[in-house]
Amino acid sequence: MTLKTETSSDSQIMPFTATLARRGFVKMGGALFVSFALPAGFRAQTAESPASLQTNELNPTLLGSWLEIRSDNTILMRTGRTETGTGMSGYYTQVIAEELSVRPETISLIMGDTDKTPDGGYSAGFLSGMANVRKVAAYTYQALLGLAATQLGVPVENLSVLDGVVFCGGKNISYGQLVQGQQLDLKIPVTGEFAKAAPGNWVGVVGLDGLTVTGNPPMKPLNQCKVMGTSFPVPGIPDKVTGKTQWSCDVTLPGMLHARMIRPATLGSTLISVGAVDKKQFPTAEIVKKGNLVAVVSPDEWEAISASRAVAAGTKWTDWAGLPGSENVTKTLRAYKWNAPPASRGKPADVTAALAKATKKISASYEQPYVRHAPIGPFVAVADVRRNGSATVWTHSAQSQGLRARIAYMLATTPEQVVVRWLDHSGQYGRTTFGGDGAESDAVILSQLTGKPVRVQWTLQEDMMWSSVSPAWVSDVQAGLDANGRVIALRSSFYSPHMMDPRPIGAVLAGMPCSASEPGGWVATEWVYDRIQNRLEDVYGMPNLGAETASGGLRGNIMRTPGQRQQNFALEGLINEAAAAANMDPIQFRLDHTTDERLINILKATAKAAGWEPRSSPRSQARKTGTTPVNGRGVSVMLRENAYWVGIAEITVVPDTGVIDVSRFIIGGEPGKIINPRQFGLCMKSGVVMGLSEALKEEVTFDKSKVTSTNWDRYKILTMEEMPEIKIVSLSRDDKNFGGGSEGANAVCPPAVTAAFFDATGIQARRIPLTPGYVTTLLKS
Amino acid sequence: MPSELTLTVNGAKQVVSTAPETPLIFVLRNELKLSGPRLGCGMAQCGSCSVLLDGEEVRTCITPVSYAVGKQVTTIEGLPAVWAVEKKLSAADAAKTLHPVQQAWIDEQVPQCGYCQSGMMITAVELLAKNPNPTIAQIKDAFTNKPPSPHLCRCGTYAAIIDAVQRAAKAMKA
Repeated sequence: MTLKTETSSDSQIMPFTATLARRGFVKMGGALFVSFALPAGFRAQTAESPASLQTNELNPTLLGSWLEIRSDNTILMRTGRTETGTGMSGYYTQVIAEELSVRPETISLIMGDTDKTPDGGYSAGFLSGMANVRKVAAYTYQALLGLAATQLGVPVENLSVLDGVVFCGGKNISYGQLVQGQQLDLKIPVTGEFAKAAPGNWVGVVGLDGLTVTGNPPMKPLNQCKVMGTSFPVPGIPDKVTGKTQWSCDVTLPGMLHARMIRPATLGSTLISVGAVDKKQFPTAEIVKKGNLVAVVSPDEWEAISASRAVAAGTKWTDWAGLPGSENVTKTLRAYKWNAPPASRGKPADVTAALAKATKKISASYEQPYVRHAPIGPFVAVADVRRNGSATVWTHSAQSQGLRARIAYMLATTPEQVVVRWLDHSGQYGRTTFGGDGAESDAVILSQLTGKPVRVQWTLQEDMMWSSVSPAWVSDVQAGLDANGRVIALRSSFYSPHMMDPRPIGAVLAGMPCSASEPGGWVATEWVYDRIQNRLEDVYGMPNLGAETASGGLRGNIMRTPGQRQQNFALEGLINEAAAAANMDPIQFRLDHTTDERLINILKATAKAAGWEPRSSPRSQARKTGTTPVNGRGVSVMLRENAYWVGIAEITVVPDTGVIDVSRFIIGGEPGKIINPRQFGLCMKSGVVMGLSEALKEEVTFDKSKVTSTNWDRYKILTMEEMPEIKIVSLSRDDKNFGGGSEGANAVCPPAVTAAFFDATGIQARRIPLTPGYVTTLLKS
Repeated sequence: MPSELTLTVNGAKQVVSTAPETPLIFVLRNELKLSGPRLGCGMAQCGSCSVLLDGEEVRTCITPVSYAVGKQVTTIEGLPAVWAVEKKLSAADAAKTLHPVQQAWIDEQVPQCGYCQSGMMITAVELLAKNPNPTIAQIKDAFTNKPPSPHLCRCGTYAAIIDAVQRAAKAMKA
């Protein structure tokens, strides 16, 4: 049977094609398996194309089919994308349930295992992942309707479906009954490629998007959704609460060794000699080394820890002191000879001409320090490298296919030889989005060397010192205002070290092949001020600080809301400065510079929720001295991935102590259609916590040799007591598709807080974090 | 040198052979296969490894296993039984009833990555035992200022935790 249907969507006729075939009959059970048809021109059976792809093409009934509708009315979805902690598993389930007209509870997910999931793809790339699963489900729905029409002997148009039961007049049949006793095979069209190493590319790996479902199957109109838009619970939560979740740190294998790494003394040190294991004290501990990668392994975890401490004390490394020290980062970036910007957007000549005509000009420089992802659980991974060279890795990487490509490259083997299994663990916040940077390469190398499965658990200090970091930024911004206080030109230049270097540290230290990336940059901001016509944005890149060392120095990586987090800090800071220069209320000033109805709506709604009274900053009572608190308020906005954000911060500052208390934060979000309102609200609130943490507290510190912010006393994050009252405003709309709502809230916090600081004190704070030390220095200067 | 130690974990006697100075977390996780307490900082700075020892929250990453001998160790896996005993639930009811703190964590959808939440729930149980009706300020205080360190959540779920503690408080009084 071939299903060819035409349907109307968005007033256009869009043909779509999927094929449904009956493979055979079965005595027990039965199922409909959804897999993909190879796209035209897809390179079949090359070294790079994973075996699973071929397997899927040849036999979709093997593990690897995307979706299975089973005779017991349960549904299984397999996706290479994973739960990052923000509720992806719930969103995907709701999207599938909506398109299939079933209850979300009937769907189970297998996520992230490269040998069990067919599609690859970013876990961070929620929007593309959601578009995929939605289309998979939509194709399947059409196939099921076709089957039902045949079974019931009625036209498809007369069918309706409720909770997985197809109705027509007095007749009905469930999905389970439709597939009972049969093995059905639905093939749907896809395009794309799987991840493979690509040295010199922007992250060192291509194919991170995985497969994309093509065609336009009819989908449920967003204004008629029953499941999307409702706050269903996120599937994994009960197990996390009762202790039933198997985390990646829980994996144990027969004969497995526990490992603790012994890292170099400094970021640039190389190994001179390894200390010795006292066999009387640690009878089963062994030293394993390769290049500058040193570890102690033992069947007993505590022995591995104790012995590694003793061995580390006797291990000698060369000295190195090639970092500038974190207090000199800005100076160092300023002194760097930047090449032409790798990314640029705007009209240089128009901006120059407009700035020349401006009646008032603002020039400012903004600075952000190195910060880091800093999960509560340090990296952990288990690897089993077998004699035949094949390897299995258990991990919480957010990019299983990308990690698989990196591990294969390191082992100089093909991706087919590597299986990555994904499990829950501590949040990654972007640090494994490109498939690198973790304990996985350590574990693989140690397993290869010992011939046994090895579990590598990093310590907090190690994680804080050796995992990748979100690099420091310096931004130069300029605005020109006309006589009416309108911005007529805006120029921004962003400078930062490499932020796309997710090379796994184990491979780097062991001197094994790493698919390295080139320093670059991109214009991340999505422009909301369409009435500012003349603008120019340049982004400059340089290598890691300490890039020349055997460890790669401070390996830069993306972190939650990357790019926009840094660029919006400076640009929204500039807009606030321009509003002040024009003596305008900063919200009205924004409204005056945009015609974007979505921004206007969420900005007004958030301002209303905050009880915002229009006036310019700084407030008339602003002061920069005194022992009593002075209040301030500030605003910032952001557009990212089709989601509009507004942050309003209300703070108090005690000028003489420099202590800032954020008393209230109002966060507004409009991400198109909201799939799960409660979860969106939770993500907004938690994003504010992370954003305020960055605004007030976070900075990776380092001396000339090494990172010094190596524990929670030295890398401080926001505590519960420091969290303000957070008020959320969310708008859902059915006419703008979906936006990225899980992350983004963090990035509106720093510019809103610095604006509130200016409102309170009359002093511009163009650097974060606003620690008491920095604030008092700033107010005294 | 390993020695045989008898522990009481979630109401059951357990004999383990381990060096007495081994931090309790490694015994709970590796010998007794309890995945509730999870290793975070390893230096009592974050709270992800917390369990109750005779009703008091302790950080198992720095607590020698020998210190737990003769005391009741409770992990999140044992919380439903604690509640069942307290409420004198029948075996049938006990089997389908979570501790109100756990139920509140589900109802409020608290966990994101969830890594720190075991320690958060342990702290909530301890707090509610001492103060059945905590204000928001008291909840913040308990999760921030009680030695040895604040309970840290990097996902930023603090607001949901506060809501869940208040929900649990209500449920426990009902």
